[in-house]
Amino acid sequence: MILLYELSEENKDLCRLGEGEEIYYCLPLDIDLQGDYRADSYTVMTNRRILVLEEGELTRDYSLEECDSIHSEPRIACGILYVEKGGEEILLGRYTARHLTRYSYLSRGMVLLKRGRTERVVSHEYEKTCPRCGRGLPDVRECPHCTGRQAGFFKDFLGMIRPQKGRMAVILFLMLLSTAIGLLNPQVQRFLVDDLLTARDKNYGDALPCLAIMLVLSLGAIVVNVSKNYLCSKMGSYISEDLRSRVFGKIQELSLSYINDRSPGRLMNRVTRDTRRIKDFCSEVFCNLFTVVISFVFVLIYMLFMNWKLAILAFVFVPVSIGLSVAWRKKIHRRFHMQGIKSDKVMSRLQDVISGMAVVKSYGQEVREAEQFFEAADENAEVERGNETFFAVFFPMLTFLLGLGTYLVTFFGGRAALNGVMTPGELLQFVTYAGMLYGYVGQLSNLPRHLMNLVTSMERISDIMNQEPAIRDGAESMDMEIQGEVEFRHASFGYKSYQPVLEDINLQVSKGEMIGLVGASGTGKSTMINLIMHLYEVDDGAILVDGMDIKNISLEKFHSQIGVVLQENFLFAGTIFNNIRYAKQDATYEEVVRAAKMANAHDFICQTPDGYNTYVGEHGYNLSGGERQRIAIARAILSNPRLLILDEATASLDTESEYLIQKALGRLTEGRTTFAIAHRLSTLKDADRLVVIDGHHIAEVGSHEELMDKKGIYYGLVQAQLQMQG
Amino acid sequence: MSGNGGHMGPGGAGPGGHRPGGPGPFGPEGEHEDFQLEQMEQETEEMLRVRYLNKDNAVFRRTGTGFLSLKVGEEFYSRVQVVRMFPFSDKDRFISVRTAEERSKEIGIVEDLKDVDGETAKMLEEQLTLHYFTPIIEKVLRIKDEYGFAYWNVVTSHGACSFTIRMGGNSVIHLSETRILIMDIDENRFEIPDVNRLTPKERKKLDLFL
Repeated sequence: MILLYELSEENKDLCRLGEGEEIYYCLPLDIDLQGDYRADSYTVMTNRRILVLEEGELTRDYSLEECDSIHSEPRIACGILYVEKGGEEILLGRYTARHLTRYSYLSRGMVLLKRGRTERVVSHEYEKTCPRCGRGLPDVRECPHCTGRQAGFFKDFLGMIRPQKGRMAVILFLMLLSTAIGLLNPQVQRFLVDDLLTARDKNYGDALPCLAIMLVLSLGAIVVNVSKNYLCSKMGSYISEDLRSRVFGKIQELSLSYINDRSPGRLMNRVTRDTRRIKDFCSEVFCNLFTVVISFVFVLIYMLFMNWKLAILAFVFVPVSIGLSVAWRKKIHRRFHMQGIKSDKVMSRLQDVISGMAVVKSYGQEVREAEQFFEAADENAEVERGNETFFAVFFPMLTFLLGLGTYLVTFFGGRAALNGVMTPGELLQFVTYAGMLYGYVGQLSNLPRHLMNLVTSMERISDIMNQEPAIRDGAESMDMEIQGEVEFRHASFGYKSYQPVLEDINLQVSKGEMIGLVGASGTGKSTMINLIMHLYEVDDGAILVDGMDIKNISLEKFHSQIGVVLQENFLFAGTIFNNIRYAKQDATYEEVVRAAKMANAHDFICQTPDGYNTYVGEHGYNLSGGERQRIAIARAILSNPRLLILDEATASLDTESEYLIQKALGRLTEGRTTFAIAHRLSTLKDADRLVVIDGHHIAEVGSHEELMDKKGIYYGLVQAQLQMQG
Repeated sequence: MSGNGGHMGPGGAGPGGHRPGGPGPFGPEGEHEDFQLEQMEQETEEMLRVRYLNKDNAVFRRTGTGFLSLKVGEEFYSRVQVVRMFPFSDKDRFISVRTAEERSKEIGIVEDLKDVDGETAKMLEEQLTLHYFTPIIEKVLRIKDEYGFAYWNVVTSHGACSFTIRMGGNSVIHLSETRILIMDIDENRFEIPDVNRLTPKERKKLDLFL
């Protein structure tokens, strides 16, 4: 996303940049305080000042030193920008929703500049519209229309089908064969008409071989087309399967920050929908449309050879019929889009009422709901009726119009035949070709849309494939058996670079210590844990394990030595046995049972119908929250981690299972460096030290007793919880 | 992103709030507990209260830096924000006056802009204008749809403008039979208060979205 808009020379002059002063950020203020659109107005941030340019005038000029902070505040479909300066809040300007996200980076940028840092805040979010052509961007970095991608796209596409070379050659051959058969059939017909049917000495017996050839050709066409389609869809599925596994592999490799920036739905779409689109393209568009293109060209050449005047006459109608079918499709699209909207409305109404039936009935609203449903259904029916009528009336007319060329060719060709310039057979052949030509046109006019879909899907896929994982093993990464000493050294981090979550965190944890992380929600407790697990990279500072920077420890080895128990534990579809064994695939039955016993899970597992072989996960055996929890603990115990993470491990459990889990956790944490987050502070009473996080920093550190004596934030939290329970 | 506006009303820092100074170790104990409980109850009670602001009890002032301050009784807020409770159905009534921070609290309600004097109403309107941005589409020049997006070229109450919406999905919201709200890909909002007031030609361009 652009954070530095280009300023005109005049505007640059207005800024009067000093020696060594550089513009860091420049964002449009595209509406005034009343909301009127305006051009040529900007907020400019240099490494020394904040400037506001409004329609050719410099209206504000503050030095960074005199300003405490800058704030972009989202309002409804717009945003405002203000600075805090000497205890005052000063409104600087206003912008539309288009620049909302951009402005949110500004305050972070200012924080960095005020600290004297020179790096620029960079936004990895994509523009919503192409800055060059103004077209909407379907969640891609570069506009498929105006970058050189379209050329690169053919390269990508060729690269994709390269492994399918052999099959591709066969397909091309079949395409040519299918075209040849298509062209040959009218040729035989001509022979039949001219040399047999209209000949002076008619011998109908001679017609039989001719008819036989026609039959063979027709059958041949079917065989060729079927095998061509078969091969094409086979090629399509190979290609998409290959792509799918590559995209999936890539997504797993990418860091969580990339994944979390995007919704799971979107990523799933890339794995499934975009690859399917490429497959569809191969099997449908590529196979049929390219055959059509080839046939189109050959038919045209053939016609020119037969009678170039008539061919040109026929061809004149091609643009006309392209225009007609495009217009027709637009019309249809509009109508069906409308029908889609209306039927969606009916469906959602229906869904609403059925899923909310209890509410409808208990408030006695059946009649009103029925009326509203009928209304929606009526509207839908109305539109459908209209569409059907439209189809019934206009489709024959369109067919007639599209056929006009054929009539014309028949008329002039007929005259030529009557004058003896053409034989009747030739006329028949020519008219058949003309019919084929117009038939292809309708299909060809679909090509641009299909190509665009393909380009977009390929763009989205290559967007992932070209992504460099932010966290990966470097050259000096090494396998390390960790002991469990952890240190935060001036660590700062924010999920979005402009929103710091943790700033300058310093903490030393010795081996085997249990640390309880405390703070209001959203203060960064889970973030600290994510950093320890090296799911994210710190922006600043470092995290050390046994004195070694976490960046230099090979990821796989590191992760294999961490155990995690979360509030909502994810069980994969599979048996309980496999779920416990998840982190240690070669564990024996005995080991698994021992781990389950330690986790107080053994007894309930034995009571399930299929014991350790009970299938869990989606559509599987229903385990309670506490039972899932204990399976997760067993999983962690089995992997025998050096570092243990407990994130709200005992929240939302009933008292009995909490007791069992507490016990199990006690066994688990013994001798292991543990970081635990809990909202219920009583569950942290075993912690050696408590770390209170507040306002992006560590506010208090100490044992429970020490912090209670201190009467600070922790004390307040404990008091508040006691009263809630009271 | 949050601004820290003025003084807090009575109530302090919320349920997680703390007041150092009470005696006693960990565990339920007398005086301090009562005090905290009282404070929390007071806060919850306060959330229930509906306080109407009018020309007799509230004094709004422009801060001179683009915002609005409020003095109501003994309380003073160096910056307040104003929010419409019914932005679509009744935009000049039931204005919630709130503290400026991100998790804002209600200070009071202006039931009708007529309840305050003319100058105050003007100040409130200025702030509302600053808060909401929904240009009214007055003229539809061109709508082109292409590959899943529709490109609009319109004249609005705030000047000429072109924007892009996603086809399908919820880009066009029907507030009533004739009133529509359009959301572009950046989540800008545009309103057509009455489609029947557009020319037939313009309506035809809109066909797809009605």
